[in-house]
Amino acid sequence: MRGHGWKWLLCTPALIVLLLAASGPLLIVAVYSFLSPGNMGGVVWDFSLEAWFRVFFRRDIFEPDQVELNTAHLQVFWRSVWLSLQTTFICAFLGFPTAWFIATRPRHTRTVWLFLITIPFWTNLLIRTFAIQEMIRNNGTINAVLLWTGVIDSPIQMMFTEFAVLLGMAYVFLPLMVLPLYAAMEKMDFSLVEAGYDLYASRLNVLWHVILPQVKPGFIAGSILVFIPAIGAYVTPRILGGGRTMMLGNLIALQFGQGRNWPLGAALALLMLVMVVGALIFYLRVVGRNDGVRRG
Amino acid sequence: MMGCAVARSRFSITRLPGFGLIAILTFVMLYLPIVILVAFSFNEGISQSRWEGFSLQWYQAAFNNSQVRDVSLRSLWLAVTAASFATILATLAALGTTRVGRFPGQTMIYALINQPLMVPEIVTGIALLIFVAAIKVQTGYTGMGYLVAAHTAFCIPFAYLPIRARLETLDHALEAAAADLYASPIQAFRYITLPLMVPGILAGFMLGFVISLDTVVITEFVKSAGQDTLPTYMLGQLRRSVTPEMNAIATLFLALSLMIVTAFFFITRTRGR
Amino acid sequence: MSQEIEITGLNKSFGQGAAAFHALRAIDLTIATGEFFTLLGPSGCGKTTLLRIIAGFEEPSTGVLRINGKDVTGLGPDKRPINTVFQSYALFPHMSVAQNIGFGLKMLGKPKSEIKATVAEMLQLVRMEAMADRLPSEISGGQQQRVALARALAPRPRVLLLDEPLSALDLKLRKEMQSELKRLQTETGITFVFVTHDQEEALTMSDRIAVMSAGEILQLGPPQEIYNAPVNRFVADFIGDTNFLRLRLRVKAVAAGEAVLELPGGKQASARLPASISPPVGSLVTAVIRPEQAEPTPAGQGEMQAVVASATFFGTDTHLHLLLDDAQGFVLRRQNRPDQPSPAPGTKLGLTFAPGALRVLED
Repeated sequence: MRGHGWKWLLCTPALIVLLLAASGPLLIVAVYSFLSPGNMGGVVWDFSLEAWFRVFFRRDIFEPDQVELNTAHLQVFWRSVWLSLQTTFICAFLGFPTAWFIATRPRHTRTVWLFLITIPFWTNLLIRTFAIQEMIRNNGTINAVLLWTGVIDSPIQMMFTEFAVLLGMAYVFLPLMVLPLYAAMEKMDFSLVEAGYDLYASRLNVLWHVILPQVKPGFIAGSILVFIPAIGAYVTPRILGGGRTMMLGNLIALQFGQGRNWPLGAALALLMLVMVVGALIFYLRVVGRNDGVRRG
Repeated sequence: MMGCAVARSRFSITRLPGFGLIAILTFVMLYLPIVILVAFSFNEGISQSRWEGFSLQWYQAAFNNSQVRDVSLRSLWLAVTAASFATILATLAALGTTRVGRFPGQTMIYALINQPLMVPEIVTGIALLIFVAAIKVQTGYTGMGYLVAAHTAFCIPFAYLPIRARLETLDHALEAAAADLYASPIQAFRYITLPLMVPGILAGFMLGFVISLDTVVITEFVKSAGQDTLPTYMLGQLRRSVTPEMNAIATLFLALSLMIVTAFFFITRTRGR
Repeated sequence: MSQEIEITGLNKSFGQGAAAFHALRAIDLTIATGEFFTLLGPSGCGKTTLLRIIAGFEEPSTGVLRINGKDVTGLGPDKRPINTVFQSYALFPHMSVAQNIGFGLKMLGKPKSEIKATVAEMLQLVRMEAMADRLPSEISGGQQQRVALARALAPRPRVLLLDEPLSALDLKLRKEMQSELKRLQTETGITFVFVTHDQEEALTMSDRIAVMSAGEILQLGPPQEIYNAPVNRFVADFIGDTNFLRLRLRVKAVAAGEAVLELPGGKQASARLPASISPPVGSLVTAVIRPEQAEPTPAGQGEMQAVVASATFFGTDTHLHLLLDDAQGFVLRRQNRPDQPSPAPGTKLGLTFAPGALRVLED
């Protein structure tokens, strides 16, 4: 039991599967992004930077030397980032009071509320997106209610808009914000809140100067947990957004379907990976700095 | 009534104005779409917005739909297989990485195990598509092996979490006590460590099962023709106009998830036993 | 008495080279069969490491450990006729009380009937018959303690090791378990090696005590000897309360092991001088007097003169904080009696002490 060999040995089976079916293929993606596209999908083994070039630029069909920015792509990138930020903000706005509500319940009912948040977290994302679709379709619940009450005469078009995607993402990712916030609040020292009130702070002051600094790590963790899957979203924008409000995930998938430019798809996928890793590094740095402040 | 008024006006340190209202509204918004979805699975008519009476006809339709039966069985089989493999592999990995002190390469192992959690599913999906396409060309094999491998890899981090968490709570003194009471290392593992790990292993299996059952993007890109699972089947159907049959399928799916989540909740809450 | 445990030249260090931490240095120790032996010291002194080496959880860096004459240095804990009562009890949470107690016998491959009989006997010994089928989580801390004891005693080990077994209990239960432990030890005749940082616990229960500090045994002997004749400043300070005085040595070796010191105020008194030290005449030495071994006298009488600075009430007695003539502090313990109120601050009084109460110590 002296050496470390047995520890590695126990991990080896899992590592083999992970390398074969998760991490390894990512390396192939990196290689593919530097190859030329085949005629019917696939790749031709010729080194080329064309895929990366086409991530940001496009050539005129008739005059290939005419180069301009690929505004369609840039629009999709921007929409992905902007919708993800908005989703994060909405989740934070709704999630903070919700987590606070759960954390301040008596111990026995707290478990029930927590359970109610956990259920959607573990139910199929597809079904929850389907449920939203049912709500906002032209002949869905919301339009039916509005028509019935006479507020509107003809159904509002909500499906296939950015609003639909935003609503759907906020809906499916909300538990990811509430759970870390709750975890931070549960650990919170409520005697500090009492001390705040004891020292003449108003409710707003206590919220700002006492509660928020204590739950900040939960806030940051929740924001990252929402932002990352939002940037990588594929199912929700596909169902609720359709072709006109495509996000990065759908643009990637498109390259392996009708577009059939695998190297471009690989390059776009790497771009998404860079965004996610960037967000994670940002998170780790912020958390690391917070720790430093606390210790200092 | 007077007592009530006094109680309400008493200062509460946990109260923040408006928070309760937003929280309740959030819970309502969270559950309303699901409740409506479930309700219309029992609708007599084909409309999903106008109630026409109670009926089980859409459940009957779902059960009689041979395609739904096929994809459901495939999903269950895949989830059980992948979760079983993932649980075994994750248990071994947890034993190798938990309560053993730091060792060279540990960070790399953690990174590899958690990698499927970090990378967006769409990226893993197209990576697997590329990889699987290459293997198919080389070997000609088009069976379920690809899906099993992909789901197993994806489930490992989820199965690993509760197993590791459980193992971390085990006091080293328990194994020391077993050794002190004349148990060999194998006996100590057999009689002490393994039985105490069981709740974690069960929880790990359940998480893996639910995750595999929910996975849609990876399956969509890895599957060969005729290998639809329930989620990819639903994804395909949602593009068309749907009937309450889809609500019925979704409701059954929800019920299964709910059962597993409830069981998971109770297993991980029972501590000390 | 035969030797149960024999430790010779034992060293233990963690880490290597300059960064190495020496947990135990040159330990030589013999523990007799049937003895209640205590390792006493502050946390980090190495007493638990020594216990873990005896149990077999750690291996010594150098040195030999013999149990009943047999060298067991390389053997694992499962091959030693020794059982341990753990500080956290380490009861198996998924097994009933009876299963816990029977575990050792089961691992030794004893027949079921024998296990059953021994478990019943042990349950009776620790008065837990009614709890046999409970889980550890369903019984109180004191009961868990008894089960841990029964489990360790069930395989009838030659030696029982107890690692601060009472530290998790409240004061009343602790006192109760102290006499319970003593009773069990007398009834079973098993050698007990007990680790504690609680000097009072050590003094009341032990046949012999080893006082440890920084990986070394400073003093080894029966409780009375440790209390009355501490070998150095550390032992005197760690066991009980003590007044430390800096006094001038006037005469050496009036008789063997005796000296004359000059007290504050100029009077001279005889003191015990250990043979191990030999300070020059005229130098300042450290001398000690236990607070209860001095007595107040009317002012002007006695060996030393003092002024009361403050008094602290402790229920059974009062501690008077005094200032001696040369401004050294002195604590005097006086039993409380309703007819004797404690003197007010500023009161002058004299001090006297019994012969032999004053001792010179190694610094």
